[in-house]
Amino acid sequence: MKHVISVSLGSKSGDFSREIVLDGQALRLEREGTDGDINKAIERIHELDGHVDAIGLGGIDIYLYVGGEQFIIGDGLRISKAATITPVLDGSGLKDTLERRVISKLADRGLIAKGTRVLMVSAMDRFGMAEAFVELGCDCVFGDLIFDIGLDYPLKTLKEIHEIAVKYRSRLLTAPFNLLYPTGSAQDTQDADPKYAKYYDNADIIAGDGHLILRHLPSRAEGKGIVTNTTRPKSIARFTDSGVAWIVTTTPDLDGVSAGTNLMEAAFVALSGKSPAQITAGDYDEFLNRVGWSGSFHSLGNG
Amino acid sequence: MSVAEDLKDSLESFAQSCNENERLMTMIKDWNRTILIHATDIDHYHTVVTNSGTVTYFPAKQPAVDLTVQSTAEILAQVFYGEVSPNEPYNAGTLRINGPQDDIVRLDFVIAMIWE
Repeated sequence: MKHVISVSLGSKSGDFSREIVLDGQALRLEREGTDGDINKAIERIHELDGHVDAIGLGGIDIYLYVGGEQFIIGDGLRISKAATITPVLDGSGLKDTLERRVISKLADRGLIAKGTRVLMVSAMDRFGMAEAFVELGCDCVFGDLIFDIGLDYPLKTLKEIHEIAVKYRSRLLTAPFNLLYPTGSAQDTQDADPKYAKYYDNADIIAGDGHLILRHLPSRAEGKGIVTNTTRPKSIARFTDSGVAWIVTTTPDLDGVSAGTNLMEAAFVALSGKSPAQITAGDYDEFLNRVGWSGSFHSLGNG
Repeated sequence: MSVAEDLKDSLESFAQSCNENERLMTMIKDWNRTILIHATDIDHYHTVVTNSGTVTYFPAKQPAVDLTVQSTAEILAQVFYGEVSPNEPYNAGTLRINGPQDDIVRLDFVIAMIWE
């Protein structure tokens, strides 16, 4: 049985272990949170190196792909270097292909159309999804400055996101990651800032990172759709309680949890027998065709 | 130019550049903070105040400080001229910032937006 572990900077409260059959092969998938402790993540990846088939790196990216350019997250790269034998994947390769598919599938189902109002809480880490919404003619607000930096300034175009990413390149490389994104117990914090409620209120669909969506989710979000991943039963319960109509997780449902893309990309790499450098977008496409992933739809009964 | 003059000039340039950048002024319109800059080697204090998108420089301490940035005059001048990211001296332990974490990120963002 192939064995794949995601080491995450996220809270340990999100840990799980599942045995699944994927693409005809048995796999053991595990997620281990380090509560935001970068040194612990480095130590754990070093321990796992050579003993598992692939390692996912969660709660942080190694690379962002924005407007055709690669941006490096310094802390992510540093952590990934703790392994020299086993490949370490952050999910950015699979994410780009998978999330475009999910949006296209939602359009096929009639849940997204031209003019649908979309709030993407952050787009730099999901540029493929952002492009997919824009290509469909959605009315998008990208909340990178609002939700990541705390400045009440909505970005409206892909060009603006790219411009900001270019200006912020050196910071992505050098800034302590916990300043840029909630890690560890900060992921469980619910400190909804009322000034951000207007962005939720004005959207039909809220998409992007689940922790950022939940952090500022207003108490009422009637009839909204959510597109995200890394959900757990308690996050689904919060969405349900707030009146959300439906949720689509981009990664498949694994008996009540949806994993981070990093774990699923690591699973794919483990099954493929290829090194990450050999894998192309076409390989991801073929794999996704075979396994039939295009998002898991959950009606929350609030529609 | 002495390091003291250099620091003063960097802060004046910083404030001026912020106020010439209309988009940045809109971005920070709700970020109203008083930032104290302390050059520890020469024991000089300066203050930058952001209010309704406008950035004002004062060559002295002002009351009700939200954020304090401390380092040598040379490093502070490099930071506010945009020659180095504050993260570099911060990670090296040669620049200290006291205040809410969110404000540290916002200040760094403003510096990146005007100089990068």
